[in-house]
Amino acid sequence: MNVLPSSAAQKPGLYLWGAALFSLILIALVAAPTFAPRAFSFLEPLKVDTDPENMLSADEPVRVFHNDMKKEFNLHDLIVVGVVNEKNEDGVFNTETLGDVYELTKFAETIRWTDGASEDAAKKGVIAVDIIAPSTVDSIEQAGLGSVSFDWLMPAPPETREEALAVREKAERIPTLNDTLVSGDGKALAIYVPITAKDVSFRVANQLREKIATFDGDAEYHITGLPIAQDQFGVEMFKQMAISAPLAMALIFALMWWFFRRLNLIISPMIVAMVSVIGAMGLLVVTGNTVHIMSSMIPIFVMPIAVLDAVHILSDFYDRYPSIRDRRKTLDHVMKELWQPMLFTTLTTCTGFLSLAFTPIPPVQVFGVFVAIGVFFAWFFTITLIPAYIMVMPEKAFAGFGMGAGDKETDHEATPLARFLHGVGDFAVGRSKLIVAGFLLALVVAGYGVTQIRINDNPVKWFHADHEIRVADRALNDRFGGTYMAYLALTADEGDALSSIADDVEKRLTALGTPQAEALAASARAARGTAESPDAFLSALREKAETELDAAEADEDWYAWDDAVLALDAASQSQEIFKQPETLRYIEKLQAHLETTGLVGKSNALPDIVKTVHRDLFLGDEEAYRIPDTPEAVAQTLITYQNSHRPQDLFKLVTPDFKKSVLWLQLKSGDNVDMSAVIADVDKYIADNPPPAAISHDWFGLTYINVAWQQKMVSGMARAFAGSFIMVLVLMTILFRSPSWGLLSMAPLTVTIGVIYGVIGLIGKDYDMPVAVLSSLSLGLAIDYAIHFNARTRHLYEQIGDWPQTAKKAFGEPARAIFRNVIVIGVGFLPLLLAPLVPYQTVGIFISAILFLAGVATLLGLPALITIFKPILFRKRRTQHAV
Amino acid sequence: MLSKTLKLAAAVTALSISTAFAQDVQEIVDKASAAAYYQGEDGRAKVHMSIKDSQERERTRDFVILRKDIGDVDNGEQRFYVFFERPADVNKTAFLVWKQPHADDDRWLYLPALDLVKRIAPSDERTSFVGSHFFYEDVSGRNPDEDNHVLEEETDDYYVVRSTPKDASDVEFSSYKNWIHKASFIPVKTEYYDENGEAYRTYTALGVETIDGHPTVVKSSMADERIGGVTEMTYSEVAYDTGLPEDIFTERYLRNPPRRELR
Repeated sequence: MNVLPSSAAQKPGLYLWGAALFSLILIALVAAPTFAPRAFSFLEPLKVDTDPENMLSADEPVRVFHNDMKKEFNLHDLIVVGVVNEKNEDGVFNTETLGDVYELTKFAETIRWTDGASEDAAKKGVIAVDIIAPSTVDSIEQAGLGSVSFDWLMPAPPETREEALAVREKAERIPTLNDTLVSGDGKALAIYVPITAKDVSFRVANQLREKIATFDGDAEYHITGLPIAQDQFGVEMFKQMAISAPLAMALIFALMWWFFRRLNLIISPMIVAMVSVIGAMGLLVVTGNTVHIMSSMIPIFVMPIAVLDAVHILSDFYDRYPSIRDRRKTLDHVMKELWQPMLFTTLTTCTGFLSLAFTPIPPVQVFGVFVAIGVFFAWFFTITLIPAYIMVMPEKAFAGFGMGAGDKETDHEATPLARFLHGVGDFAVGRSKLIVAGFLLALVVAGYGVTQIRINDNPVKWFHADHEIRVADRALNDRFGGTYMAYLALTADEGDALSSIADDVEKRLTALGTPQAEALAASARAARGTAESPDAFLSALREKAETELDAAEADEDWYAWDDAVLALDAASQSQEIFKQPETLRYIEKLQAHLETTGLVGKSNALPDIVKTVHRDLFLGDEEAYRIPDTPEAVAQTLITYQNSHRPQDLFKLVTPDFKKSVLWLQLKSGDNVDMSAVIADVDKYIADNPPPAAISHDWFGLTYINVAWQQKMVSGMARAFAGSFIMVLVLMTILFRSPSWGLLSMAPLTVTIGVIYGVIGLIGKDYDMPVAVLSSLSLGLAIDYAIHFNARTRHLYEQIGDWPQTAKKAFGEPARAIFRNVIVIGVGFLPLLLAPLVPYQTVGIFISAILFLAGVATLLGLPALITIFKPILFRKRRTQHAV
Repeated sequence: MLSKTLKLAAAVTALSISTAFAQDVQEIVDKASAAAYYQGEDGRAKVHMSIKDSQERERTRDFVILRKDIGDVDNGEQRFYVFFERPADVNKTAFLVWKQPHADDDRWLYLPALDLVKRIAPSDERTSFVGSHFFYEDVSGRNPDEDNHVLEEETDDYYVVRSTPKDASDVEFSSYKNWIHKASFIPVKTEYYDENGEAYRTYTALGVETIDGHPTVVKSSMADERIGGVTEMTYSEVAYDTGLPEDIFTERYLRNPPRRELR
């Protein structure tokens, strides 16, 4: 026996107490700062991170741009309160519902607080001034006698049915509100509540819910929006860790009991799994990492791997004990046989997961590293705690233990399981060509399946279809333009601004035709060659003209200089690209085009505001719903718009310098494929229809961020997988000191992974985040069985020297260990199907499928391949030492 | 019996004191309104407006403001004419306001690029003035009769008056406080409070000069914490009693600005 297991067998108490102490210390290190953050501020508390943005590192350009744009356009994360009334014939536009909506909005405006006693602390909560609700937005409308009125859409709760219906009518006239604030069918309206940061959403939403609970109207309220989904996600994540994972544990436990029939013995793999999970998760928290959608899956990944080796030991021990009848000697035998396969399965599994550290997604890196740490713990505790545990059990507990223990004389190979596996072995050896052909065919079909894979994800769909988040999502997407926001930023390129401004200045001054303008034009001609920047050029001219203006005595002189200064100002304003009618018309066409894609329910952009105000300046005439013809007319329309309660809203669509503008797209679906289709469509549209001025376009918003991280994830995973495949192949070659055995060991996992991903492609399951991560798990698990089978086959062959006889032995205890593993862990993970979040279900199904496939590929494929290639594989047996 | 008489006397005294006090406050706010908006019979100024948002991004507006008090009555009827010069694309845009102390103001807007004179329906005057942090009402003046006033404090230099709206549904504030300079009656600071009693909007007179014998605010600012940022108005070429003709404050002059008066 090796040093560690034998030391553990000698001093079992030391190892068992050591493991207990290790767990307790880690638990204490996590619990202390989590429950008493002040007293233990020097320690890292448990931090939950449910923000999908964190799939990208903080300095990722896509994310930096996203945050810059959010800041520049003053956009905040939103809680959306959807109000639906199906019962009232006027929908939500009845006095009661609107009264409640008014009250709820007033209430929402007051939700803000400061943390702690400090007066200077920044206010947290709702950004009242940016709430979008009927009582907080302006309506522009005709007010008789040709006058135009700017007033609140719903200044007070309506008192009559007519007043209530008028709110709907007014809102529907305003394109930026229609299908955003009110639904086309009048059954629903949405209140958009901006919050200071995502982490306040839980508290804000709870206060809103409490307020809503006091209403007794017949409207339904859906509180949703990305921050809410994230909070819910955090809650479900803990449910998963607290319920699904232990349930999986319990089922594994029950299955082991069914196989080994010794309750006190099978507690040991459970202890190994617990200590390994506590070790990995404890270290994760203690080192300041967050519990994220990825890292919350660590226990689920570590658990089967931890149990796996323990099942090998127990299975072997169970089979050997009846013939050896001494636990120490049995242990010696078992550990000698399993030492190397277990070491190498651990190394390969760690390699598979560590390769994730090279993906560009921080949470995936953390996940990979800590699963690898967990796997290492699992190995260490398996080879120490299991022997230690066996040694502390009283010898009499083993009486009557083990396979075929009831009848000493009977070969313990006579149980139904043993007979079945021998049958499998005979079949694999006898029909080797058929089996290999079958696997090759499966690989071909899988290869086709892989080409059919659709890469797609949608964090909202991580919830079940009947989860309140999904219900709200559907209720609102059915009625509004769409609840998934994507933002298209348009930025005017800085061209050769100086020469175009200089040309423009000269043209405008010459057009004035006054001697004063001519004099200034002459200065402009002289300055254009030497000016450092357009700004310097203009301000030098302006200074000159203003000096003349101040000095002017005669009115005529003063007017002439005034006109010249004006011309300079006008020239500088020609750089304000998003005031130019042709630019606005271009955006208008792009918006119209987007709505033909069927993916974009609605878009809001600067042209909508210009057109609406223009229409209402001209008596609400629909013909006037257009972009006016000059930049001055646009500017005057916009200054009119700004005479409102919310002048700042303009700068959510354009920057004050009119050099950047943003289109708000409301998408019906948050699927990455749909967002990607919109991106491709916009690229094509802009390529086919060049904008009137040099404009570059970029995306931001969470729907886009999801696409960005998914792209990184897919390519990163592919690289990580290729890398770890090669690493494992090298490790196998070293382990078996033979390239051909190394290659042979890769066969089951190649088939497993190929078929798994082929099936994903064939059944149309989206390749999403959990599916991507599973490739590393398949690699880690499928290679394990191959290592165990090959190592022990070679071990047997060394003694027997004849393949058919070796195969018979291999389909004894080694095959049974693999089979038990497949059943225990494969079935053990089915409780994940009950998990509240879809990614965990995916993981549950696929772990089971991976184990089953890997088992089949190992037990059928390997003996078949060995049968076919035995001349190559056993060529050097005489000169080689056993592994 | 005696004690009853005393009590009555005390009550009467208290009543008369509080009435006297109330009159005092009314007088203070009336004088303050007159000092801020009714100096001289008419007035003109060039205004440079700098609007800085929460990200310190600046926009500017330059305009000329002309004012005439009808019949030179303090806190009475007034006419305003606001003529925009810069930025160039709003050049010649103009506002005309006929301020009626006890009725809604009449307002017109002229947009030269659309060749449009538009009457603005009487509604809320607490909306942004051309996208700045100032409201219309801050530019033309809020009638003191719209609020109830209480003299909260009297310092060596200032009367501190708390004003509460008579009709709370018309306004976004729940009260405001004015620091009125005792000697000049110029309000040098105004703070607006929300329903929680927190100040969210602040007007400050940053510079006061005496021009033609009238104490005049030549620089002022308005900050709004809800949206962030601040607007500063700088007044130059201020003149009083220049004899502005009343007829330039008519719709006709919106399209044909009185260039001489605006120079």
